Amino acid sequence: MIKGKRKPLEEIKSSIDAFNNILIVGCGGCVSVCLAGGQKETNTLKADLNMLYKQDKIRKGLKTFTIERQCNVQFLAELDEIVQEYDCLISMACGAGVQYLAERFGQKPVFPAINTDAIGVDRGVGIYEEQCRACGECVLAYTGGICPVTRCAKGLFNGPCGGTNKGMCEVDNDVPCAWHDIYERLKEQNRLDCILNIQTPMQWQNQVQRTIVQEPYESRYRQNRHSTS
Amino acid sequence: MIEEQTAAVDITFIRDMLEKNKGKMKLSLRVCAHCSLCAESCFLFNAYNNDPKYMPSYKFIHSIGTLYKKKGKVDRSMLEEISINIWKRCVLCTRCYCPFGIDIPSMIALARSICRSQGVFPRYD
Repeated sequence: MIKGKRKPLEEIKSSIDAFNNILIVGCGGCVSVCLAGGQKETNTLKADLNMLYKQDKIRKGLKTFTIERQCNVQFLAELDEIVQEYDCLISMACGAGVQYLAERFGQKPVFPAINTDAIGVDRGVGIYEEQCRACGECVLAYTGGICPVTRCAKGLFNGPCGGTNKGMCEVDNDVPCAWHDIYERLKEQNRLDCILNIQTPMQWQNQVQRTIVQEPYESRYRQNRHSTS
Repeated sequence: MIEEQTAAVDITFIRDMLEKNKGKMKLSLRVCAHCSLCAESCFLFNAYNNDPKYMPSYKFIHSIGTLYKKKGKVDRSMLEEISINIWKRCVLCTRCYCPFGIDIPSMIALARSICRSQGVFPRYD
């Protein structure tokens, strides 16, 4: 799931200083699970901002509302009537949710309260680890389920480099070398032949905005495109 | 936060929310023929050995249906009970299919909004 972390309070405050009636919009999806932008966190942010404004003796109308997912238009529609009362919105969703919210309510300024950090796993409550950079060209099949794009400091497809040192990376002695781990994993599975062939360079796909269409639905969207053109 | 979890349920507020969505909600509850065709479209129903409690129709009838039937007159424990049907048994993937066209996800989302308005929502910590 997507992992994020709340922005520093001062940064959030500075973005809304010019507005009086502010709606903090939470998201019930990924950011709820990583304890960054769910209903509980919207309440915390509201309380924190209220405290700061109280210290400055400024009165602000801060309200919270959490929808199930900010990346789905069906759930965003729930806000249609509510947002009219507010001067601006704070989104506690990931970057995708913030943009979808801003697109739907183009007349209202929308400010992010979360820094979207990673696609990651839950190592425990409140501790998450990045595992995927959504590069669009997954190589986990031949790297023993260890992502060199995420874990190798150089993002090498044919590693390790000369900087590997007793299983650690040259950039930091506390960082394990991804390619050392890949080698060990494949050796354990008796699949070392997977990394003997030189892999072709990554065709980086994340330079432009991507749209993902699943194969069974391709004809549907192709038809739509033709009918609208 | 603790105040929110122990405060009395605001029945008037729930009634207002139900009233706003009365048309769609009433029609959906009336139209459901309990045909169970929606069940197969729910991956959780399949994953939990076809447990009827995971049927989309069960989930929406035992959430928004309960709230509607009781005209919003529910207590916190009932909202907690409802929350199991709409959060633990549903991920709102919006893939459930109803041959009569009932928009089950929007009904479950409405039930979630009502629960949220009373401070009943999942905790992940």
